[in-house]
Amino acid sequence: MDLKEDQIGSVTVLAVTGRLDSATSPALGERLTAMLAAPMAQVLVDFGQLEYISSAGFRVLLLAAKRADQSKAKLVLCGVSGKVRQFFDLGGFLDLFSITATREEGIASVH
Amino acid sequence: MNQTETTIRNRRGEFTRVVDAVDKFADEHHLAAEIVGDVQVALDEVLTNIVDYGYTDDAEHEIRIRLRVGDGVLEMTVEDDGAPFNPLESAKPDTGASLQERRIGGVGLHFVKSLMDEVSYDRVGDRNRLVLRKNLPA
Repeated sequence: MDLKEDQIGSVTVLAVTGRLDSATSPALGERLTAMLAAPMAQVLVDFGQLEYISSAGFRVLLLAAKRADQSKAKLVLCGVSGKVRQFFDLGGFLDLFSITATREEGIASVH
Repeated sequence: MNQTETTIRNRRGEFTRVVDAVDKFADEHHLAAEIVGDVQVALDEVLTNIVDYGYTDDAEHEIRIRLRVGDGVLEMTVEDDGAPFNPLESAKPDTGASLQERRIGGVGLHFVKSLMDEVSYDRVGDRNRLVLRKNLPA
C-alpha cells in the first residue's frame, strides 16, 4: 500500500494505491488521524488505484469518518469503483460514507 | 505443484507471509486478479479472527494454511488449535446503523461468506479446520 498526498487549494487529497488489509491499514489510520486533527480539515481520499479493502481497512475508515463528523472536519471518498465498490456494497458502507464519483466532484463537495 | 502449505505463528506480523504465498501460488496458476483479491481478503479476515479471538493464553500457536487448485476450484484450508469457533454461526453485521453507532464487528466474516462459493467448518480433535472454496472461471 502506498499513500500519496496532494494539496489542492484548501483540500488535501490522499491517494491510496495497492491493498488495504490488516497489515497495511494501520498506516492509513495514522495518516488520516493526523490529517483530520488540523482545524477545519478538508480531506478527500482517492481509492481509484486501490486493489481491495478488507474489514481492517473499513475499521480505519469508520473511525476516521466518526472523528471527522464529531470535529466538523470534512472527509469524502472518491474512486470507489469496480472491485473496491463491491466490498463497500457487501459491507453496507456505500450509504455510510460521503462518496463522489470523481476526484473533481470530491474536491468540489469537500469545499 | 497444485498445492502449497504455509505455517505461521498467531501474530499479525506473520500475515504478510500468507499474502506473499497466495500471490506466488496465484502467479504459478495464472489466477485472475479478481480471484486473488477475494482470496486475500477472505484469508485476512479468517486469520485476524483466529489471532484476535482464538486464544485464551499469550503463548505462540501455529496456524496452517494450505492452498490447492484442481477441478476448477481453488481451495484454502486453515487449521488452528484455538478455542472451538464456527464462523458460519457468526452474526450478520448491522449494516443499517448510523455512522456514530456503526460497529465493524461481523463485517469480516460476512465478507468471507459472501466472497467464497463454499465455506465449511469442522472441529477435528483439538483443532478448528475451515475450508474455503472459490470456483475458478473456465
